[in-house]
Amino acid sequence: MGQAMRSRRSGDDRLHAGSRANEQAADWGQIRALFTAGIRMDLRSARARQRGRIKIPPMIAMLVTYSVIGGLLAISLARTSGPFTFTLLTFSAAMFMTAITVIMEYSSVVVSPDDYGILAHRPVSSRTYYWAKVANLFFYVTCTATALNLPAAIVVGLRFRGGVAVGFLYMIMALLACFAAAALVILLYSTALKLFNYRRFNTAITYVHSFATLALTFGYVLIPRMLIREHVFISIEKGLWVWFAPPAWYAAGVELSVGLGDSRNLTLALLAIVSAAVVIHAALTMISLEYSRSISELAGSSAEDTVEVDQRRLQTRFAAFGVFFCRNDEERAGFELMQAYMRRDRKLRLRIYPAFGLPLAVYLFGLISGGLNDPLGPRAAEGTFPVRELLGFYCVFVTLFFASAITQSDQWKASWVFFSAPLENRVGLLVGARKLVIWRYLFPFFCVLFVLLSFAMPVVSAALYLFITFVLSLMAFALLSMASPFMPLSQSIEKTKQARQMGLIMLLGVAMVFLVAISETLRDGRVAGLIAVVLLLALAGLSEIALRRRLASKLAQDEFLG
Amino acid sequence: MDETGRERTARAERAPKESGGAFAIEFRDLARSFGDIEAVRGVNLKIPHGQICGYLGPNGAGKTTTVKMATGMITPTSGTALINGIDIVKNPIQAKLMIGVVPETGALYETLTPIEYLALVGRLYHLERDAALEKASVFLELFGITDSSERIMTGFSRGMRQKVLISAALMHNPDILFLDEPLAGLDANTAVVLKELLRELASQGKTIFYCSHVLDVVEKVCDRVVILTEGEVVADGGVEELKEMTHRASLEDAFTKLTSEGDLNAIVKAFSESVTGRAHGAGNEK
Repeated sequence: MGQAMRSRRSGDDRLHAGSRANEQAADWGQIRALFTAGIRMDLRSARARQRGRIKIPPMIAMLVTYSVIGGLLAISLARTSGPFTFTLLTFSAAMFMTAITVIMEYSSVVVSPDDYGILAHRPVSSRTYYWAKVANLFFYVTCTATALNLPAAIVVGLRFRGGVAVGFLYMIMALLACFAAAALVILLYSTALKLFNYRRFNTAITYVHSFATLALTFGYVLIPRMLIREHVFISIEKGLWVWFAPPAWYAAGVELSVGLGDSRNLTLALLAIVSAAVVIHAALTMISLEYSRSISELAGSSAEDTVEVDQRRLQTRFAAFGVFFCRNDEERAGFELMQAYMRRDRKLRLRIYPAFGLPLAVYLFGLISGGLNDPLGPRAAEGTFPVRELLGFYCVFVTLFFASAITQSDQWKASWVFFSAPLENRVGLLVGARKLVIWRYLFPFFCVLFVLLSFAMPVVSAALYLFITFVLSLMAFALLSMASPFMPLSQSIEKTKQARQMGLIMLLGVAMVFLVAISETLRDGRVAGLIAVVLLLALAGLSEIALRRRLASKLAQDEFLG
Repeated sequence: MDETGRERTARAERAPKESGGAFAIEFRDLARSFGDIEAVRGVNLKIPHGQICGYLGPNGAGKTTTVKMATGMITPTSGTALINGIDIVKNPIQAKLMIGVVPETGALYETLTPIEYLALVGRLYHLERDAALEKASVFLELFGITDSSERIMTGFSRGMRQKVLISAALMHNPDILFLDEPLAGLDANTAVVLKELLRELASQGKTIFYCSHVLDVVEKVCDRVVILTEGEVVADGGVEELKEMTHRASLEDAFTKLTSEGDLNAIVKAFSESVTGRAHGAGNEK
């Protein structure tokens, strides 16, 4: 009897095992459907459909931006001594940008907390979900990595020995490097989520992202430009450090392909391939529907929300003072709404805070290179890298992030309330939100910069310089808001918009004509300088008036299309 | 002299009495197209003060588009929507002061707490901050969500969100309410409270424009029912009138007769057969 029982039990086990295997089997039809849907979502702009207008899909726009960034990077780094240095720098930048992109788009590209809610009650096995997400991830990283690296591959093909074959090999190594970078981010992100509090971790990510922007600007925008300006032929010698710098492993492989390098190159190239395989394999084990559920639960848990709101009440007093600058209820509503969102919406902060990393990177660079010369003092020597102007440019550029971000939200459909409310002055809502940005973020940031600059130049010069930059920033904020004439938080966040913003930083290399002109005028004579400052203030005032007129005409006709 | 927001609010509160016999809600040939699609085609409707008007129709009939036009969220392609005799397009501020809206989407700023959201809405209607907060607290208490009043709404259930949305619609004591599926997600007790509240508000002279798919509730609550299909009004009258007109015993049957093109029983049968695969003799039973 016991034997019969055992036999039956083992039969049941087999049955269950069979059923489990069936549950875990990948369904290629489902994978194809999920993968296609993912790509469709990547390539589609929801708003464009709603408004019946043809619009460039956000992902295409991002890829174009990345191609231009890759092109600029390849051209600016072309003055290198050999394939190793060139490839090391381009691979580092590409890996870095891929990692940042994956962090920024983690919930849409890797594992979305919404997936569990949508798919959990459907007959989709974890393995099916896994392969669909992996396919999406590979597609996404392949696209971004190709856009970033193709220009550099062409430069490699043209400039170094080997032609098309080496260019092709460069692309393969670049893709591998970018996959490894993406995998490393997934691995670290997933592990960190298990170890740390979800909300605090995501807040930390915001600051990490700001720091990453600082590092990117510092390392890949400023240094190469300065070296080119100084006519320095960039050359990086291989040392012990190459064993600790993954981009060097991939670069060594490319160098080997043009017939250069030694046995160390071969070892490094093998290390690149093996480590990529290990990291990618480990990262892919993190992708599962169950993991989506975990994230969903973590993101949805509101137990600590009460605590968070109470704790932060004290911190709002400073910002609350700014509400006195609001002239009517609409402005106050816009101010308070934006205040709450800036404080609590991590996505919003993630889109804005990195902007502050840019001027800080330039400041650090200025301190190191001695480029933060006194704007009222003697002229800098001819050909000196214009650190001060660049600092001013990036300070102004911070406003670009605010101008578009304050009109976007995941909860944009809630803006119906602005359309149904009896608002005579819809403009006031955005004006209130802009006042919050100026009072709570731009003004304190310039105060911090003033303190920092006071270490590098006389206090009066620092104050004057930052005053001009602040007025320029306000002017730019007004002009940029004209390009985004919507009510606060009333537009959807389109995937990759953040990445495009990051790209704009590198694309818009427009000179700080005003800043340079006024600085020069101030240096030449106080009266002329004063006139220039007054003119600048008048221009800022005019741009604000122009903005309000534009908003009034645009918002009066705006409709709620949610 | 420029009128302040608060003065306008006060004037709006007097409007029903001063409207000189104007209807609370009036649509004159109201129409809206989206590209080639005519969502609403020349709707004419006059709703007197104190009436609860059910606005019914199948999916895509144009109910929500009508509400959006009536509440000034979108502009009609042609025709007019009047609130207490005031054209919502020509004089949107004055008209909007008199209305409260519960939208179908249930969208609200989740990152705010209920109190903060209601204070924001209060600001938009020019309520005194303290008065708005006090009123918000009372509403939340009546709805039984005081405990959650300091929590951001990210984790709120649909029912809790709906309670906040209903509170927001009532914050400024509007003369006219536009409710698009107001019972969605509400528990049975709250639904009963809301239904009674609507009756009470109507008895005070407030007008309620009630969009819903739940015909039982419409039958119990509404004085009048308007049925819309493919953007056009196909029936308008009291519940009993509609039953008589269609020779049906219930509003549900009357609705079906007016809005369904085919025989519903035949559709059910065809559906059933498709599910089981019997229609084509290809059953999926093993």
